[in-house]
Amino acid sequence: MSLHLDAMRFSFMCRPPRPPSRGRRVAIVGAGIAGLTVAGYLACRGVDVVVFERLEEAGGLLLHVIPELRVSHRRVLAGIEELENAMGVEIRRRVRVCGGEAPELEESGFERETIDLRDLVQEFDAVVIATGTWRTRRLGIPGEEAEGVYTALGFLFRMKRYRLEESTEPPPIQLAGRRVAVIGGDIMALDVAMEAIYEGAREVLLLYEGTARECPVGLYAIRSLETRGVRMVELVKPVEIIVEDGRARGLELVKLNPRTREPIEGSRFSIDVDVVINASSVEPTPPVEPGYLGIEVDEQGRIMVDENHRTGNPKVFACGDVVLGPSKLGYAVRDALYTARAVDEFLG
Amino acid sequence: MARRGLYVDITLCMGCRTCEAVCEFLHGEKLINVYEPLPGIFTPITCRHCERAPCIEVCPTAALERDTDGAVIVNPRRCIGCMMCTAVCPFGVPSMSAKSKSVVKCDMCRDLRLEGLPPACAQMCPATAIVFGSIETLADKARARTAEILARIRLLRAPVRPFIPFAPR
Repeated sequence: MSLHLDAMRFSFMCRPPRPPSRGRRVAIVGAGIAGLTVAGYLACRGVDVVVFERLEEAGGLLLHVIPELRVSHRRVLAGIEELENAMGVEIRRRVRVCGGEAPELEESGFERETIDLRDLVQEFDAVVIATGTWRTRRLGIPGEEAEGVYTALGFLFRMKRYRLEESTEPPPIQLAGRRVAVIGGDIMALDVAMEAIYEGAREVLLLYEGTARECPVGLYAIRSLETRGVRMVELVKPVEIIVEDGRARGLELVKLNPRTREPIEGSRFSIDVDVVINASSVEPTPPVEPGYLGIEVDEQGRIMVDENHRTGNPKVFACGDVVLGPSKLGYAVRDALYTARAVDEFLG
Repeated sequence: MARRGLYVDITLCMGCRTCEAVCEFLHGEKLINVYEPLPGIFTPITCRHCERAPCIEVCPTAALERDTDGAVIVNPRRCIGCMMCTAVCPFGVPSMSAKSKSVVKCDMCRDLRLEGLPPACAQMCPATAIVFGSIETLADKARARTAEILARIRLLRAPVRPFIPFAPR
């Protein structure tokens, strides 16, 4: 069988066709980069893999959130297709796996079927949870529920879905001619600001609680955004979203002392904006409530695992950002590979 | 056999470190390293498998050799660990391994190539910053990727959305 060279090869360890089945079955919950990497490794080891994905398509943040400029969706889709068609991985889309009162997700409701994790644990020889970080830390200020207020995750997700559809419809979130405030300084804030420029926003403000120099994306990225028309406001913190008739109309900010980073008294000021995008950090979203089937979660919401990447349940492993917290694609891949190896050894 | 090359386009690197992850997993140590000399400026450094490789020329024990694909490979039985290769490498690529007590460097995923597979980093790089292929097609492949990215930028600005939809099922 020939290789798809323009695919992201999640099964980079072996050539298709997949080796004969060892008669072991593994369920993977979540088809992001971590889940797909585990699937690719185990398929190369002759394991029967079923991946459960709540969305319409696998690919996780890689496909649904990271902008097209960074990651080609064709390459990701080709990789998913190779896993399914050449490596014998079964991907069950629009199926959500839950257990108890799981934390709420953003962009939910795509599932047609919900399965209890308990059933998977019974049916499969092992289960790997790789559900990532599908929730944004809230700003915790008044007005957050108003129309015109989005999270970076939700905004990028909806815009990318729209772009992947061949559509002449207007975008789901219209920014043309709008004044947009982006709150944050990491890569998602940067991506949102770029999108807003592409969408023809009248004004894009990047509001960050540190200085431009301290921004995680680096001064170079900030300066290049500025050449494209983004205005950065350093050392500010939002205190309230001003709402009129249920819609965001402005933002009340406070200046921060450059040394202590404490709010400066009497420094509150407001700006007129129509759209507020919260690009605070994302949080882990385990599919289960803490303690369900012995799966424990730490104070940051991350699934706790032992040195063998195993949760409190002997048949359930976990990897990727749901264990690490928001990280990088590569850290999720690394965690997934060592987890996959541990699962492989566990299967015997 | 056709000579092959591994081309890393540092301008496409987004610093996700997927290459490091797959490399470390396969080889037990990172033979490609992504540096961030300034915040947000990512520079992956790995062996370029130079056509006129200073490391091969300087090695006093002829421990560095070129395999049939053109990859520069260390023979750990011959290597005495003098690190002359590190000194003359313009990228400082060969490093001493505490584990094997010899110099280690990227071998263009020799084991994978024997299976007819590209190096792991090239297979998995999400940003398509790593290209592998015969040296005749390498530059063309690299250009094709740059062209694709330029096209994506252009399409982003287009009034209609000509992207292909999700793969039909």
